[in-house]
Amino acid sequence: MDLWQLEDKTFDSRLMIGSALYPSPKIMEDSIRASGAQIVTVALRRQAAGEGGKNPFWELIKELNITVLPNTAGCHTAKEAITTAMMAREVFETNWIKLEVIGNQYNLQPDPFALVEATKVLIDEGFRVLPYMTDDLVLAQRLADLGCTTLMPWGSPIGSGRGLMNPYNLKTIRKQFPNLNLIVDAGIGKPSDAIEAMELGFDGVLLNSAVALAQEPVMMAEAFKHALIAGRLSYRAGRMQERDMASPSTPTVGTPFWHQFK
Amino acid sequence: MTISVNGELKTFKTDKLTVEELLKAMNFGKGIAVALNETFVMKSKYHETNISDGDRLDILSPVQGG
Repeated sequence: MDLWQLEDKTFDSRLMIGSALYPSPKIMEDSIRASGAQIVTVALRRQAAGEGGKNPFWELIKELNITVLPNTAGCHTAKEAITTAMMAREVFETNWIKLEVIGNQYNLQPDPFALVEATKVLIDEGFRVLPYMTDDLVLAQRLADLGCTTLMPWGSPIGSGRGLMNPYNLKTIRKQFPNLNLIVDAGIGKPSDAIEAMELGFDGVLLNSAVALAQEPVMMAEAFKHALIAGRLSYRAGRMQERDMASPSTPTVGTPFWHQFK
Repeated sequence: MTISVNGELKTFKTDKLTVEELLKAMNFGKGIAVALNETFVMKSKYHETNISDGDRLDILSPVQGG
């Protein structure tokens, strides 16, 4: 596949994958490898006292030797998200942050106002902010104005697996921001959803539940690997013109038993 | 003094405690980040950041995320 420049790094794969909800650490590891993803999302949570720094999960992720993208999942205010981002920068030794500020508990919809507020502070602090956002065109403009070069609108609510709820909005953002990296983040349920996102011209897809909660996560991870490739190639190749009427694909010249006068 | 560490109340028989001393006393190891009263504390400041009675500390480490 064509190389992909995201922020200050270059990747072969356009799939970004989460590390949560897998049936076991081994299945997580095998799934991430099978997906071909070169970016994995991680989070921060309270550590139990007395563990002395042992963290098998983190050791496993480091062994994968791929780019780590920390998130601010679970934050409900700009202040919480800013503090979490700063903690993540120190622990994960990266200035990349998947910025999430949740505004509604029912559908985990991002809070656009808090997102803009936190983005401004974090960009000033030297972060590369990859904002998880709704598919709102004006919000995209505000975030781009602040200096985001990557935007991550949702396909549908986190963990819903409903695919792309509003392809029109995603398409519009793509058209309006041809030079930004656009990634569909959240809501992908199956590989054909990822293909649809890529065929809209999106640069990548970030998913977690669709693989982790599949009946066979490792197999599904591989399916997504191929879906991303198919979707990207399809977009670059350019689809045929849609037509209302049928048009035979097999040549009609030389057809036997041809009823010429009918 | 009594402080909150990751949401649990802890009592220490001293009035002077730095973040560094607390982390050692409670056997928190490497790969963590600290917030004091919801404000990030850089690792390089642990030894000079004093904890006061009623403070809230959050000590975070990497976990699975989407």
